[in-house]
Amino acid sequence: MLSTDLRENVLVVRVEEKRIDASKAPAFKDEMTRCIEAGQNQIVLDLSQVDFIDSSGLGALVTCLKRLGPKGSLAVAGATGAVSRLFTLTRMDRVFALHPNVDAAVEQLSA
Amino acid sequence: MVSSISLSIDSDLDKVSLLARAVRALCEDMLSPDDQDAVELSLVEAINNVIKHGYHGERGKDVQVAVGLQADQVVIEVIDHAPPMPAQVLDNASEDRFNFDETDLADIPEGGMGLALIRMNMDEVEYRSNESENRLRMVKRIAPPVGKSLT
Repeated sequence: MLSTDLRENVLVVRVEEKRIDASKAPAFKDEMTRCIEAGQNQIVLDLSQVDFIDSSGLGALVTCLKRLGPKGSLAVAGATGAVSRLFTLTRMDRVFALHPNVDAAVEQLSA
Repeated sequence: MVSSISLSIDSDLDKVSLLARAVRALCEDMLSPDDQDAVELSLVEAINNVIKHGYHGERGKDVQVAVGLQADQVVIEVIDHAPPMPAQVLDNASEDRFNFDETDLADIPEGGMGLALIRMNMDEVEYRSNESENRLRMVKRIAPPVGKSLT
């Protein structure tokens, strides 16, 4: 469900699903954990293909953030509509830096 | 205009999105896109709770959803036959769940957000249980057209 691309020491992880919900959250966590355990700690999560996230999906993102630890960064790019509103409503926009697109997020993380 | 429809799925997380998209489509002419998002999220959270906590992930159990389209509101009921949820669980769910300290990784919630999200997204939420079933009733009011209220 994820595709990855390394750009300037930042791992760009693109979610290739329209929904991250309770049925997809475990696979999402597993695939992200593999990236983190491979040593990546600067990650941009591209959500531009995603149009729905539920609390299980959001919780999975938080789990990944905790696995990254305080030295890692997990930024979000391309969240729109219901996805972007969920971050605001749950105040998770204070936890994840939201960027309009991948380029802006990579620039921020590699700076 | 009052109409209603009942839908049901097997207690399988893979089937929740199908039902949620069907209900969203039913509300399309009545609710704004933001309110459709609110209804879809609330319904998904409610059904996920039934499957994960009510039926403990067991498949082959019934989850019913009744959708009532009324002139001034959309009423959605999620009906299950699992052991009931303790009443205070819903009473205690609120946006306080999201008053976490974002500078403390351990304090950021990974779960337990579903009911709080339902209460924040719907106008009324009520839970009733009797010997045969549990029923979570969620209401979304239809916003009056902007600018016409004072004329």
